Amino acid sequence: MSSAGDYRVERPGRLTARAARLSTGLGWPITGALVVTLVATIVRLLGPLVIRGGIDDGIAADDKQTILIAAGVYVGLLVVQYFVTAASQWSVAYVGERYLVQLRSVVFSKMLRLDMGYFSRTKSGVLVSRMTADIESLQEFASDGAVMALSNLLTVVGVAAALALVDWQMALAVFGVVTVLLGVSVVFQRQARKAYDMVRERIGRVLATLQEGITGVRVVQAFTQESTQASTFGRINERHFEANMAAARAISWYFPVVAFLRVVAMVVTLGIGATRVIDGSMTVGTLVAFLLYLDWFFQPIINLSNVYNLLQSALSALAKLFEVMDEDVAVDERHGAYDLPDPVRGAIVVDGVAFAYNPAVPVLSDIDITVSQGERVAIVGETGSGKSTIAKLMMRFYDPSSGVITLDGADLRDLTISSRLDAMALIPQNGFLFAGTLRENFTYARSGATDEDVWRVLEVMGIDDWIRSLPEQLDTEVRERGSRFSAGERQLVALARAFLADPSVIVLDEATSNLDPETEIKVEGALRALLSGRTSIVIAHRLRSAEKADRVIMVDAGRIIAEGTHNELVDGSDAYRELVEVWQRGLA
Amino acid sequence: MVESQAKLRDLKTGLQLLLKILSGYRSIALISILGALIWMAMIVVIPYLVGSIVDEAVTARDTSAIWPILGIMLVAGAIQALGIAMRRYFGFKLSYRAEADVRNRIFAHIQRMAFNFHDTTSTGELMARASSDLSQLRLILSMLPITLANLAMFLVVSAVLIVIDPVLGLTASLMVPALLLTSGRFASRVVGFSFDLQARLSALSHVVEESISGIEVVKSYGQESRQLDRLEEKAEVIYDSSMSMARERAIHRPLFEIIPALGTVAVLAVGGIRVVDGAITIGEFVSFTQYLAVMVLPLMITGWFFANLPRSAAAASRIDILLETAPEIADPRRPVHLPQGPGQIELRHVSFAYPDGTAVLEDVSLTIPGGTSVGLVGVTGSGKSTIAHLIPRFYDVSDGSILLDGIDIREISLDQLRSEVSVVFQETFLFSASVVDNIRVGDALASDEQVRSAARLARAHDFICAMPDGYDTVVGERGATLSGGQRQRVSLARGVVRDPRILILDDATSSVDAVVEAEIQEALRQVMSGRTTLIVAHRTSTLALVDNVAFIEDGRLVAFGPHDTLLREIPRYTEVLAAEESVVG
Repeated sequence: MSSAGDYRVERPGRLTARAARLSTGLGWPITGALVVTLVATIVRLLGPLVIRGGIDDGIAADDKQTILIAAGVYVGLLVVQYFVTAASQWSVAYVGERYLVQLRSVVFSKMLRLDMGYFSRTKSGVLVSRMTADIESLQEFASDGAVMALSNLLTVVGVAAALALVDWQMALAVFGVVTVLLGVSVVFQRQARKAYDMVRERIGRVLATLQEGITGVRVVQAFTQESTQASTFGRINERHFEANMAAARAISWYFPVVAFLRVVAMVVTLGIGATRVIDGSMTVGTLVAFLLYLDWFFQPIINLSNVYNLLQSALSALAKLFEVMDEDVAVDERHGAYDLPDPVRGAIVVDGVAFAYNPAVPVLSDIDITVSQGERVAIVGETGSGKSTIAKLMMRFYDPSSGVITLDGADLRDLTISSRLDAMALIPQNGFLFAGTLRENFTYARSGATDEDVWRVLEVMGIDDWIRSLPEQLDTEVRERGSRFSAGERQLVALARAFLADPSVIVLDEATSNLDPETEIKVEGALRALLSGRTSIVIAHRLRSAEKADRVIMVDAGRIIAEGTHNELVDGSDAYRELVEVWQRGLA
Repeated sequence: MVESQAKLRDLKTGLQLLLKILSGYRSIALISILGALIWMAMIVVIPYLVGSIVDEAVTARDTSAIWPILGIMLVAGAIQALGIAMRRYFGFKLSYRAEADVRNRIFAHIQRMAFNFHDTTSTGELMARASSDLSQLRLILSMLPITLANLAMFLVVSAVLIVIDPVLGLTASLMVPALLLTSGRFASRVVGFSFDLQARLSALSHVVEESISGIEVVKSYGQESRQLDRLEEKAEVIYDSSMSMARERAIHRPLFEIIPALGTVAVLAVGGIRVVDGAITIGEFVSFTQYLAVMVLPLMITGWFFANLPRSAAAASRIDILLETAPEIADPRRPVHLPQGPGQIELRHVSFAYPDGTAVLEDVSLTIPGGTSVGLVGVTGSGKSTIAHLIPRFYDVSDGSILLDGIDIREISLDQLRSEVSVVFQETFLFSASVVDNIRVGDALASDEQVRSAARLARAHDFICAMPDGYDTVVGERGATLSGGQRQRVSLARGVVRDPRILILDDATSSVDAVVEAEIQEALRQVMSGRTTLIVAHRTSTLALVDNVAFIEDGRLVAFGPHDTLLREIPRYTEVLAAEESVVG
């Protein structure tokens, strides 16, 4: 959970202005919402004036008919008030919710456009919380806070104006009390926020400890640590209780003080009012209207001080979202990019490429690789040698620091993204599946594919029997991240997905972990079908893949140290021979 | 019909539980309720004082009468503030204290529940008991004092109004049920939608998580727009849910102003005419308007309270069910003290079946002499791990018995039994704590030297020392990342630090690669020497270390003897080993 509370909001005005610029297409709804809210407030403020009329011209004048007329007018006003208030509630929420739909989409599409460098720099938890916790704190403001803020603010201003119009001297006295209330509210909000930040932090620890206690319960019991665990938990839990009580103390003084100030305001009103009614300079009706207005002063101010919290979190969430929006897209389509000309051959040339994530630490230097159409090249090397980075550069997840990579003679950076990706596919180490059905996963890269297309590919890859053996076949739900299937089975799905995309070039990052023998055989068969007739670059982790390649390139510390067929390298390169020995030992 | 009866019954038991919990905090609750009553009394007094000013000063044209009444009013205001402070502070204290205490009980209880309970109960479910259910409970407890006072206030105020003037009083009192019903209805409908909303928000967050963790796939197929479509779809349904809530708000919220205003209109019309008729004074009329104003918020809160009550009662009964479930494995009533011994284990006609009746072990008899080691071999599902779990009583045998140095393990206290039997699990679980604390889980009293020598024995000392903070390095979910082999060795050290009579290694080396396996082999050889050891294993290299092998098939003991002998005499044994070996690679 991101704690919006401790994020300092700089330049709230500028933030709000920028947020407002994102509200395209909402101009009329916003105007409408403002107008109905204004009307609702005015109608509400008329009520006590009607009562004043009823008291002064009806009750004080012993005129029953006027009393009934005043009551009738009030009822009429209330009917109007009901509908405009409802309209105001609804329309402000409509604006807020529509705005959020747009915001979610704008932020997420920007996030997806960002380069892989951004994704590897930023923790995925942080990215997720931008789209969830942060937007949700805006949601809270949009659905409830905005209308509260608007209507309460208008009410306070309106009541102040009404009081001043009815009797400005008495109004001034009341404003004095209200000023104290405002000051008290500001102090209270500050204290309450601090206290609740603490509560939030400590409940986080309580829940983490609780979860650990549950997932580790077998170990706890095996070593009879039940009571130790319980007392550790008890301590953390007690600290949460203490934080809660600190928060309770912070808010326990506020409401009594507000209640007392309300009585003070009444006393002031009554003191001045009653004296003036007696000396004839004020009517009883005015006094009663004044007392009724007082309530509408206090509750809105309490409400506003609550909304202030929501507003603060909303603004700090906005600031974080704008950070994402301001992020540069390092890998983007160049202006004037052109489509890869047909027919695609799939020849790749890496020419004098150097690369560093961080300028001080070069990852690759002087890389020259030529892969001709239909060739299979294996890249081998130790963990950290830079071999995976070569694959990522070929996919243009990053652009080289210097040098150039071409596909069919065209610089990758000059090609339109869509035409380049149509020609190439990366198969990452672990078969990643999206929640949904198998069909959706197979056709992920080719949404137009029919079931026949899918089955044909599955047959060619030799995995149609497996899918047919599943009770729901293509409709099988793979569950979150494909957890319905084993690692090997997920890999098979990923291979089929690539096959359906039908790229000319395949970049395969081989899985490091071992599969069970049966699946291993299936994966090999599927891979053979997939790679045949296509250019392929395999980041190899096992002997068999190197043996099968047309050519092997060995990378060490970011440079190519050997190149040739497997047999040539076994004879000619000590480093390669050593690597092969490690592989062989692993097999034994 | 039946359903609503069941609901009513749940509500009743839930309420009883709430009261039971409450009874543990009687004095705090009473102070809070006292504060609430003081507050309530002043709520009744203040509007009355407003009326008297109008009558005794304004109508009587007596300026001097104003000040004493205003003075009383200020005092009443101060007392009211005190009442609110008492009510709130002790109300919070009551609810937070109860929440913390119940949470401790839940945690301690979960820790004591046996393996079969945890096998069938998800972490999420248990977390919900101790977080969302408990919050629901706390919320209602914190509202209890004010609700009691509110109910009293409605009665008293209605009574006062009716005493002042029956016609006007009854008219004005109509506001009470009207507001209660409206706010109750509103709260229960909004709560329903907010559950929908929560579910939809979490569906959206799944799309986001998936897009980010699968970003390589998304980007390499250029499917950003597809992921965006999925997100927009989820955002639209969130919008629908939010707007349903907005609709409820739009319908109900204005009523919270309109209903009291209608009360005021009634007072104006009826009260005005009564004043003209001379039945009441103008001051009494003014106090009526004031009474209506002060009741609005309490009425809204009370309506909310009753709307949430069923939900809290349900939460309370879920918590109660958890706390009332007794652990299936517990200490014997009169534990027998286990004397010193060589660590001989004897299984006598042991059978074990799952609660659903699936038999796992059938009539297994086996004696493992003290100080020797046994490898348990069999295909997945043969029951070999079950034997390992029966000895420390993670589960109890369905039939037969297990003896440790001649004593039935069910007669020994769990504390003593488990302190003599150490288990190293396949899934290495480390706590978010320092390495030394993780090893001390095995023996809280172990000295630094004992911890180190256990780590040396488990071949963990060197890599622990190489870490930035050595033994004080924090590991686990929120700490440094250890490799599978390193985690395995830390948990091995944890298993041997107390120098147990029996050591059980439950498939502890299956998840490490060949290089680490070789390192652990050496550690294993050391920890096993001179100690009764049971080891669930696949690899020939591991089996070469043990004195005997128990070969299990379909829940029965097929053969028991040295690895070489079994290899020679039992073809099926060789077959099983070969299959297991190839899978593990």
